[in-house]
Amino acid sequence: MAVSTRRLQKELVEIQKQGTPVGITLLSADDFQTWLFTVQVLGDTIYSGELFALKFRFDGQYPIQPPAVQFVVDEKYQAPVHPHVYSNGHICASILGNEWSPVLSVIAVCVTIQSMLASCKKKERPPDNERYVKHAPENPKKTQFVYHDDTV
Amino acid sequence: MKVTVKNWHAIAQWRWDTGTNEDEGDGEGDVCGICRVPYEGCCPSCKMPGDDCPLIWGECSHVFHMHCLLQWIGTAASKQQCPMDRRPWVTAERKVNHSNGR
Repeated sequence: MAVSTRRLQKELVEIQKQGTPVGITLLSADDFQTWLFTVQVLGDTIYSGELFALKFRFDGQYPIQPPAVQFVVDEKYQAPVHPHVYSNGHICASILGNEWSPVLSVIAVCVTIQSMLASCKKKERPPDNERYVKHAPENPKKTQFVYHDDTV
Repeated sequence: MKVTVKNWHAIAQWRWDTGTNEDEGDGEGDVCGICRVPYEGCCPSCKMPGDDCPLIWGECSHVFHMHCLLQWIGTAASKQQCPMDRRPWVTAERKVNHSNGR
Protein backbone atom coordinates (compact mmCIF):
# COMPACT_ATOMS: atom_id res chain seq x y z
CA MET A 1 0.00 0.00 0.00
CA ALA A 2 1.33 3.41 -0.91
CA VAL A 3 2.34 5.65 1.97
CA SER A 4 -0.17 8.20 0.70
CA THR A 5 -3.10 5.78 0.97
CA ARG A 6 -2.81 5.30 4.74
CA ARG A 7 -2.56 9.00 5.40
CA LEU A 8 -5.47 9.81 3.05
CA GLN A 9 -7.61 7.10 4.67
CA LYS A 10 -7.10 8.85 8.00
CA GLU A 11 -7.98 12.23 6.53
CA LEU A 12 -11.11 10.81 4.91
CA VAL A 13 -12.30 9.20 8.14
CA GLU A 14 -11.78 12.52 9.92
CA ILE A 15 -13.81 14.34 7.25
CA GLN A 16 -16.61 11.79 7.53
CA LYS A 17 -16.60 11.94 11.33
CA GLN A 18 -16.12 15.66 11.91
CA GLY A 19 -17.41 17.14 8.67
CA THR A 20 -15.77 19.86 6.64
CA PRO A 21 -15.34 23.55 7.54
CA VAL A 22 -18.16 25.92 6.59
CA GLY A 23 -18.26 26.59 2.83
CA ILE A 24 -16.32 23.46 1.95
CA THR A 25 -17.97 20.18 0.95
CA LEU A 26 -16.56 16.88 -0.19
CA LEU A 27 -17.80 16.15 -3.71
CA SER A 28 -16.02 12.88 -4.33
CA ALA A 29 -13.23 10.76 -2.90
CA ASP A 30 -13.78 7.46 -4.68
CA ASP A 31 -10.13 6.51 -4.60
CA PHE A 32 -6.86 7.78 -3.15
CA GLN A 33 -5.70 9.43 -6.37
CA THR A 34 -8.25 12.18 -6.99
CA TRP A 35 -10.55 14.07 -4.61
CA LEU A 36 -12.99 16.85 -5.42
CA PHE A 37 -14.34 19.54 -3.11
CA THR A 38 -16.66 22.48 -3.63
CA VAL A 39 -15.61 25.79 -2.17
CA GLN A 40 -17.80 28.77 -1.39
CA VAL A 41 -16.56 32.03 0.03
CA LEU A 42 -18.89 33.06 2.80
CA GLY A 43 -19.66 36.50 4.07
CA ASP A 44 -19.45 39.78 2.27
CA THR A 45 -16.87 39.09 -0.44
CA ILE A 46 -16.55 39.67 -4.17
CA TYR A 47 -17.23 35.95 -4.77
CA SER A 48 -20.50 35.76 -2.86
CA GLY A 49 -22.98 33.44 -4.55
CA GLU A 50 -20.26 31.71 -6.59
CA LEU A 51 -19.45 28.03 -6.24
CA PHE A 52 -16.06 26.62 -7.23
CA ALA A 53 -14.67 23.12 -7.36
CA LEU A 54 -11.16 22.15 -6.26
CA LYS A 55 -9.45 19.06 -7.62
CA PHE A 56 -6.71 17.31 -5.61
CA ARG A 57 -4.45 14.74 -7.20
CA PHE A 58 -2.10 12.70 -5.03
CA ASP A 59 0.95 10.70 -5.94
CA GLY A 60 2.19 7.84 -3.78
CA GLN A 61 4.53 10.22 -1.94
CA TYR A 62 1.86 12.43 -0.35
CA PRO A 63 2.26 14.05 2.21
CA ILE A 64 6.04 14.24 1.70
CA GLN A 65 5.18 15.63 -1.73
CA PRO A 66 2.39 18.21 -2.04
CA PRO A 67 -0.82 17.27 -3.84
CA ALA A 68 -1.52 18.78 -7.27
CA VAL A 69 -4.36 21.23 -6.60
CA GLN A 70 -6.34 23.22 -9.14
CA PHE A 71 -9.77 24.67 -9.72
CA VAL A 72 -12.06 22.61 -11.96
CA VAL A 73 -12.91 24.25 -15.27
CA ASP A 74 -15.70 22.43 -17.14
CA GLU A 75 -19.32 22.90 -18.21
CA LYS A 76 -20.37 23.24 -14.59
CA TYR A 77 -17.51 25.08 -12.85
CA GLN A 78 -15.26 28.01 -13.64
CA ALA A 79 -12.04 29.12 -11.99
CA PRO A 80 -12.51 32.17 -9.77
CA VAL A 81 -11.25 35.41 -11.26
CA HIS A 82 -8.34 36.11 -8.91
CA PRO A 83 -4.80 37.50 -9.38
CA HIS A 84 -3.31 34.11 -8.40
CA VAL A 85 -5.70 31.87 -10.32
CA TYR A 86 -5.20 31.22 -14.03
CA SER A 87 -8.22 30.74 -16.24
CA ASN A 88 -7.29 27.06 -16.71
CA GLY A 89 -7.74 26.55 -12.96
CA HIS A 90 -4.06 26.51 -12.01
CA ILE A 91 -3.27 28.27 -8.72
CA CYS A 92 -0.12 30.16 -7.86
CA ALA A 93 0.09 29.58 -4.10
CA SER A 94 3.34 28.97 -2.25
CA ILE A 95 1.91 26.34 0.11
CA LEU A 96 1.31 24.12 -2.95
CA GLY A 97 4.95 24.55 -3.93
CA ASN A 98 8.00 25.59 -1.97
CA GLU A 99 6.10 26.33 1.25
CA TRP A 100 4.45 22.91 1.42
CA SER A 101 4.78 21.05 4.69
CA PRO A 102 3.88 17.39 5.28
CA VAL A 103 1.91 18.37 8.40
CA LEU A 104 -0.60 20.17 6.16
CA SER A 105 -3.70 18.31 5.05
CA VAL A 106 -6.28 18.38 2.28
CA ILE A 107 -8.68 20.36 4.45
CA ALA A 108 -5.93 22.79 5.46
CA VAL A 109 -5.27 23.46 1.76
CA CYS A 110 -9.01 23.98 1.10
CA VAL A 111 -9.21 26.48 3.95
CA THR A 112 -6.11 28.36 2.79
CA ILE A 113 -7.47 28.71 -0.73
CA GLN A 114 -10.88 29.71 0.58
CA SER A 115 -9.27 32.50 2.64
CA MET A 116 -7.09 33.52 -0.30
CA LEU A 117 -10.34 34.20 -2.16
CA ALA A 118 -12.02 35.81 0.84
CA SER A 119 -9.29 38.43 1.22
CA CYS A 120 -9.32 39.43 -2.46
CA LYS A 121 -10.66 42.90 -3.22
CA LYS A 122 -10.51 43.03 -7.00
CA LYS A 123 -11.42 40.42 -9.59
CA GLU A 124 -8.58 40.16 -12.07
CA ARG A 125 -6.55 37.45 -13.73
CA PRO A 126 -2.79 37.13 -13.26
CA PRO A 127 -1.01 39.55 -15.63
CA ASP A 128 0.53 36.68 -17.62
CA ASN A 129 -2.66 34.63 -17.81
CA GLU A 130 -2.90 34.28 -21.59
CA ARG A 131 0.73 33.39 -22.07
CA TYR A 132 0.68 30.90 -19.20
CA VAL A 133 -2.54 29.14 -20.17
CA LYS A 134 -1.32 28.72 -23.77
CA HIS A 135 1.76 26.75 -22.72
CA ALA A 136 0.76 25.41 -19.31
CA PRO A 137 1.42 21.74 -18.53
CA GLU A 138 -1.63 19.63 -17.75
CA ASN A 139 -0.44 19.17 -14.16
CA PRO A 140 0.14 22.43 -12.26
CA LYS A 141 2.91 20.77 -10.20
CA LYS A 142 5.05 20.82 -13.35
CA THR A 143 5.00 24.62 -13.32
CA GLN A 144 7.71 26.48 -11.41
CA PHE A 145 5.66 29.34 -10.12
CA VAL A 146 7.34 32.51 -8.93
CA TYR A 147 5.64 33.76 -5.78
CA HIS A 148 5.84 37.48 -6.16
CA ASP A 149 2.92 38.87 -4.26
CA ASP A 150 1.85 38.05 -0.73
CA THR A 151 -0.75 40.78 -0.43
CA VAL A 152 -3.71 38.89 -1.90
CA MET B 1 -12.05 -20.73 50.62
CA LYS B 2 -9.27 -22.06 48.49
CA VAL B 3 -8.53 -20.51 45.14
CA THR B 4 -6.52 -22.34 42.58
CA VAL B 5 -4.99 -20.27 39.80
CA LYS B 6 -5.41 -22.33 36.65
CA ASN B 7 -3.81 -19.90 34.28
CA TRP B 8 -2.98 -16.23 33.97
CA HIS B 9 -2.25 -13.69 31.29
CA ALA B 10 0.43 -11.04 31.70
CA ILE B 11 -0.35 -7.69 30.15
CA ALA B 12 2.21 -4.96 29.58
CA GLN B 13 1.89 -1.51 28.16
CA TRP B 14 4.54 0.87 26.87
CA ARG B 15 4.72 4.34 25.48
CA TRP B 16 7.42 6.69 24.31
CA ASP B 17 8.56 9.24 26.85
CA THR B 18 7.74 12.40 24.91
CA GLY B 19 7.91 14.55 28.00
CA THR B 20 4.14 14.85 28.37
CA ASN B 21 2.00 13.01 30.86
CA GLU B 22 -0.48 10.47 29.64
CA ASP B 23 -3.45 12.44 30.92
CA GLU B 24 -2.22 15.68 29.41
CA GLY B 25 -3.28 16.94 26.00
CA ASP B 26 -6.36 16.36 23.93
CA GLY B 27 -5.29 12.96 22.71
CA GLU B 28 -4.67 14.37 19.26
CA GLY B 29 -1.21 15.61 20.07
CA ASP B 30 0.07 12.07 20.34
CA VAL B 31 0.28 11.34 16.62
CA CYS B 32 3.16 11.97 14.27
CA GLY B 33 2.21 15.12 12.37
CA ILE B 34 3.54 13.69 9.12
CA CYS B 35 1.85 10.26 8.90
CA ARG B 36 -0.87 10.90 11.56
CA VAL B 37 -0.17 7.53 13.16
CA PRO B 38 0.24 7.50 16.97
CA TYR B 39 3.83 7.70 18.19
CA GLU B 40 3.41 4.22 19.63
CA GLY B 41 2.41 2.92 16.22
CA CYS B 42 4.93 2.88 13.44
CA CYS B 43 5.59 4.93 10.34
CA PRO B 44 3.97 3.75 7.09
CA SER B 45 7.16 2.03 5.93
CA CYS B 46 7.54 -0.11 9.06
CA LYS B 47 5.71 -3.18 10.26
CA MET B 48 6.74 -3.24 13.91
CA PRO B 49 6.46 -0.34 16.34
CA GLY B 50 9.02 0.19 19.06
CA ASP B 51 12.76 0.34 18.75
CA ASP B 52 12.62 -0.53 15.05
CA CYS B 53 10.62 2.63 14.38
CA PRO B 54 11.85 5.18 16.91
CA LEU B 55 10.92 8.79 17.44
CA ILE B 56 13.11 11.79 16.75
CA TRP B 57 13.12 14.98 18.84
CA GLY B 58 13.92 18.41 17.48
CA GLU B 59 15.52 21.27 19.40
CA CYS B 60 12.28 23.08 18.59
CA SER B 61 10.46 20.49 20.76
CA HIS B 62 8.55 18.85 17.91
CA VAL B 63 8.49 15.07 17.75
CA PHE B 64 8.01 12.77 14.74
CA HIS B 65 8.59 9.17 13.75
CA MET B 66 12.26 9.26 12.81
CA HIS B 67 11.60 7.64 9.43
CA CYS B 68 8.88 10.16 8.57
CA LEU B 69 11.07 13.14 9.48
CA LEU B 70 14.13 11.79 7.67
CA GLN B 71 12.07 11.20 4.54
CA TRP B 72 10.95 14.83 4.65
CA ILE B 73 14.42 16.23 5.47
CA GLY B 74 15.78 14.16 2.59
CA THR B 75 13.79 16.17 0.06
CA ALA B 76 15.16 19.42 -1.35
CA ALA B 77 11.74 20.98 -0.79
CA SER B 78 12.10 20.60 2.99
CA LYS B 79 14.96 23.12 3.07
CA GLN B 80 15.95 21.09 6.16
CA GLN B 81 13.18 22.75 8.15
CA CYS B 82 10.90 21.39 10.84
CA PRO B 83 7.51 20.72 9.20
CA MET B 84 5.73 22.32 12.15
CA ASP B 85 7.48 25.65 12.56
CA ARG B 86 9.82 25.85 9.52
CA ARG B 87 12.79 26.47 11.77
CA PRO B 88 16.03 24.75 10.75
CA TRP B 89 15.80 21.15 11.96
CA VAL B 90 18.25 20.36 14.74
CA THR B 91 17.96 16.93 16.30
CA ALA B 92 17.87 17.13 20.09
CA GLU B 93 19.42 14.68 22.47
CA ARG B 94 16.81 12.23 23.63
CA LYS B 95 15.12 13.81 26.61
CA VAL B 96 15.49 11.90 29.85
CA ASN B 97 12.64 12.17 32.27
CA HIS B 98 14.35 13.11 35.50
CA SER B 99 11.17 12.99 37.52
CA ASN B 100 10.99 9.22 37.43
CA GLY B 101 13.38 8.81 40.33
CA ARG B 102 16.62 8.28 38.44
